[in-house]
Amino acid sequence: MAEETSWYKDAVIYELSVRGFYDADGDGGGEFRGLTLKLDYLAELGVNALWLLPFYPSPLRDDGYDISDYTNIHPAYGTLDDFKMFLDEAHRRGLRVITELVLNHTSEQHPWFLEARSSRQNPRRDWYVWSDTTDRYKRARIIFSDTELSNWAWDPVSESYYWHRFFSHQPDLNYDNPAVREAMWEVMRFWLEMGVDGMRLDAVPYLVERESTSCENLPETHDVLKSLRARADRSFPGKLLLAEANQWPRDVAAYFGAGDECQMAFHFPLMPRMFMAVRLEDRKPIVEILQSTPAIPDSCQWGLFLRNHDELTLEMVTDEERDYLRDEFARERRALLNLGIRRRLAPLMEGDRRRIELMNGLLLSLPGTPILYYGDEIGMGDNIYLGDRNGVRTPMQWNGGWNAGFSAADPERLYAPVISNPVYGYQAINVDSQRRYSHSLLSWMKQAIRIRQSTRVFGRGSMEVLDPLNHRVFAFLRELGEEKILVVSNLASQAQAAELDLRRWKGSVPIEMSGGSLFPPITERPYLLTLGPYQFYWFNLRRL
Amino acid sequence: MAETTAVSEEFLRQLAAVGEVDIVVGVPTFNNRETIERVASAIQVGLTKYFHRDRCVLINPDGGSTDGTPELFKSASVSDFGMLLTANPLRTFHRLTAPYHGIPGKETALRSLFTAADLLRAKACAIFPPDSPSLTPEWVEGILRPVYREGYDYVSPVYQRRKFDGLLVRALVSPAIAALYGARIREPVGGELGLSGRLAAHFLRQDVWEREMPTFGLEIWMVATAIVDSFRLCESFLGPKIQATKQFGQDLGGTVRQVVGGLFQCMDMHAGYWKAREGSQPLPLFGFQYAVALEPLRLSRRGILDAFRSHVEQLVPILESILTPQTLVELRQVAQLAGNDFRYPDELWVKTIYEFAAGYHRSAISRDHMLQALPPLYRGWLGSFILENQKADLGKIEERLETIAHEFERLKPYLTDRWDTETGGAR
Amino acid sequence: MKELVLGSLDQTLGRFHDMLLGFLPHLLATLIVVAFGWGIAMLLKIIARRLMALRHVRKLSEGSGISLLLRKADLPPPHELLGRLVFWVVWISFLLLGLDSLGIPELHAQIIRLFLFLPQIFVALLVLFVGLLAANFFSRAALLAAVNANLPSARVVSGFVRFILILLTFAMALEQLALARRTVLITFTISFGAIMLGLAIAFGIAGRNVAQRVLERLFTSAEPKKEEGEKEKVEEIPPL
Repeated sequence: MAEETSWYKDAVIYELSVRGFYDADGDGGGEFRGLTLKLDYLAELGVNALWLLPFYPSPLRDDGYDISDYTNIHPAYGTLDDFKMFLDEAHRRGLRVITELVLNHTSEQHPWFLEARSSRQNPRRDWYVWSDTTDRYKRARIIFSDTELSNWAWDPVSESYYWHRFFSHQPDLNYDNPAVREAMWEVMRFWLEMGVDGMRLDAVPYLVERESTSCENLPETHDVLKSLRARADRSFPGKLLLAEANQWPRDVAAYFGAGDECQMAFHFPLMPRMFMAVRLEDRKPIVEILQSTPAIPDSCQWGLFLRNHDELTLEMVTDEERDYLRDEFARERRALLNLGIRRRLAPLMEGDRRRIELMNGLLLSLPGTPILYYGDEIGMGDNIYLGDRNGVRTPMQWNGGWNAGFSAADPERLYAPVISNPVYGYQAINVDSQRRYSHSLLSWMKQAIRIRQSTRVFGRGSMEVLDPLNHRVFAFLRELGEEKILVVSNLASQAQAAELDLRRWKGSVPIEMSGGSLFPPITERPYLLTLGPYQFYWFNLRRL
Repeated sequence: MAETTAVSEEFLRQLAAVGEVDIVVGVPTFNNRETIERVASAIQVGLTKYFHRDRCVLINPDGGSTDGTPELFKSASVSDFGMLLTANPLRTFHRLTAPYHGIPGKETALRSLFTAADLLRAKACAIFPPDSPSLTPEWVEGILRPVYREGYDYVSPVYQRRKFDGLLVRALVSPAIAALYGARIREPVGGELGLSGRLAAHFLRQDVWEREMPTFGLEIWMVATAIVDSFRLCESFLGPKIQATKQFGQDLGGTVRQVVGGLFQCMDMHAGYWKAREGSQPLPLFGFQYAVALEPLRLSRRGILDAFRSHVEQLVPILESILTPQTLVELRQVAQLAGNDFRYPDELWVKTIYEFAAGYHRSAISRDHMLQALPPLYRGWLGSFILENQKADLGKIEERLETIAHEFERLKPYLTDRWDTETGGAR
Repeated sequence: MKELVLGSLDQTLGRFHDMLLGFLPHLLATLIVVAFGWGIAMLLKIIARRLMALRHVRKLSEGSGISLLLRKADLPPPHELLGRLVFWVVWISFLLLGLDSLGIPELHAQIIRLFLFLPQIFVALLVLFVGLLAANFFSRAALLAAVNANLPSARVVSGFVRFILILLTFAMALEQLALARRTVLITFTISFGAIMLGLAIAFGIAGRNVAQRVLERLFTSAEPKKEEGEKEKVEEIPPL
């Protein structure tokens, strides 16, 4: 496997919304020109790939996931030329760019749907899924249970029902139709040709519908993806396909195929369990989910994340686990949305710096490619009083000045108000102030990312979970060739002692990676480590 | 202060790894190969079902079993119960074995449990016998909930009993505790018990652990100490109790020695407390009370009476130094009654017990001998009680037992009187 | 004649007077010695008690099981016992010393013998004392064990135990006094038998449950079957 084509394995991905990052033209929302101006900041942070939330023309009823034109830029974000300039500037700084490809559905404003609904005889009619009754595909669950009552919506124009797995203004495309598959390939080709390095495939489990199934993870859906991957590989080798499939590991692993489908997929079940483990002060949830995670093909990689632009989804947990997480992390019931919790990392960790660091430490050291969500590197807060998931999509806080340095527009004109409460407000939490001192969260994040990038073990190494008797201590060993890294984390709020069985690495000397301190060499005896509250160590085990 | 010698170094290491917990459950064992797996699983299922969010540890202090009990305890699996479980435990579930050497006895086991509860800062602690055939996961909740959620310090079980089951407790120990300490506790030596972390720590601080304390006596001591030191006690209804086939003190002599000896010892320790106390209160009761039909005990009374008569006569030289002349005379008269006329009057029964207690207090004769002199009298009383209530239903039995309890309370001044009399007995 | 008689009487009275005069200081000395001895013995008794009552000494005696042993034998607690022993030993010694100071030569010789014999007497007394107590204790234990084992002739067993033990005790005491050397052989025979019995009793106490079961089986097998069944059923009632 060529190194160049598996770049995603060593990546640290930064997820951002163009609208929320930087407003250079003072119209109240960010655009590509603004983002381009902030690329130096991202390079300085140490990330090496950017994942952009949808920026296509759209009625913006679902934050751009309702696309009305796949091959253009939303006028608020600039032009195609602005995008090309951004892409070049990013590449010049070694930053790869991943964009969104919403395969499953379009906006109801998309010309394809407008044509399809215009009459039952229209040649595009078959590009969507229609029915005269709501009785078909009864077994498919409703995903946005807080807003939608059915997966079928009535179209008054053609007087029939159309199928939608998400909002009713997002009709599902019909992947049984070869013309649809061809059209989507054209969309992919358009962006890959322009130089985009990868595409995040939104809502992939739902592409194809079959009667008497859950209409998720169907073999036909995998066929669609395999054919897209094959065509991409042929024309544009080394481009990344990243699957968004909020499913159990066993089902998600299917999206890797035999290395011939998507190269990456998000590990959805791991994320809530990391939160749970820290709350329970018990490594059990993480260890269990890692144990039930199947092996994946060599060329593939898990995408790990703590938070993203959606709510903290709690679909991939048991009922008790969900109740527990909701009770513990959403004491304020307003924070609940659908099955999940709409909060950012820092408020979920109650602003506890040690816990935020521990969570990021786990994210950066567990096997997979970490994905950071914009603003979390400085500990930004959220606004649960904004509707839907908008509370975690507020403007980036650059400094303590006007509109947090995000925009020169009048505050009323901003697409969303900046966070201004005394704890998480931009006066307290912003990039400029955290740049100024070395013990800020931002500085810590830069260092942690730098350490992660200093070795390829984290991205490519094998993983072995250790089993110290103390369940509050989560320890594992990452190994790649001769290089071995021992990660020991204290998930508890009190100091802990752990005895690790490291006999197999007898004679090695642990070197703490952030400071380079030598620790006593490993012997036959249990290796005793003491850890402060939420403390963790990354040790390079060096054989001398 | 309690010394930590009750805890081995290896056990301490395990405890350090377990860290702070909410609930400690202990199952002391000694060669309980046949039942331990079932009991350990039932407890784990109970904890998982009712306390799945809480940090629990199951500890097995083992008195040096040679039949592999600790290994079975550790390997007991709940996977067979998977279908029964409504909840999957969120947390790591620890099971520890704490072997100790020396005489297998509850005191060492309890001491290491309480030490563990104290060190782990447990909020609640429960103890279950290793051989209870009627233990269900619901019992775990019944014993722990009042402590863990309702703020009580000591939970004592209440069972549904068969007609003549457990009369030593129901007609002697329980009414005596009620009369003396003012708390109507029904099963002070039930076997199952729950207590709060602070009470466990309090027990540890007492200086009984180095002393000789009979096994069942320890439970009575705990109840009495909890009452005397103003902890909050309650009861929890668990359901029907089936006796384990081989239990400590299945033989009457040993049981009397432990249970009644424990009671007398406590009376000795707490004389200042109970003398200043009048009346009794029922304890708050938790749990849904239900009844199932239990197979009644089949009994025969013949033989008891003859034995009683000859026993009393033979024991006269010993009884002389324990009982007052009047009581002894009455007792001998009662023993002479024939057949269906035979009745051991309540007042005489209570006086007998009280005089034994007072005799024990002033060590009239060897305390051990005194406790050995009691079983023949208990057998006589039992025979009388069975004879009297052969046709009675459960409710009627309860009424009778209540009368006896009243008698214990009524005659308390008599006890106080005897207690302070230096020279007792007929001699 | 009269004078002779008077003279003799006078002489005798004079001698008696002289003797009395000579003896009175001795008697006084004796009384003083005895009284003084009583005081010393009392003092020593109190000191011994105090010493024994010291916390760590008591702990030692508790720990070594002496206290328990004494309690089981129904003897006073160790500090009391030692106190009494010290008192009597000291006081009797002074008593003898006092008697000796009467200055009667025959008595002197006897007292010397007595002094030499004294330890043996004490040991013999101790043996007697302990023996009688033990006889009392073990006969009671035997009675209780027999009653609880439902033996028909518990009193007989208990009396037998008491008799044997008293016999043994006296034999040992006499042996100690070396008054009846010839009884040694007999004593030995008796003590051997007694030890065996003691062992049997010890077995009965320590392994009472086992013994009870064995005895019950022996006993009930001789009884009619019907009785056994009924008895078993009554025994079934769990006390707890």
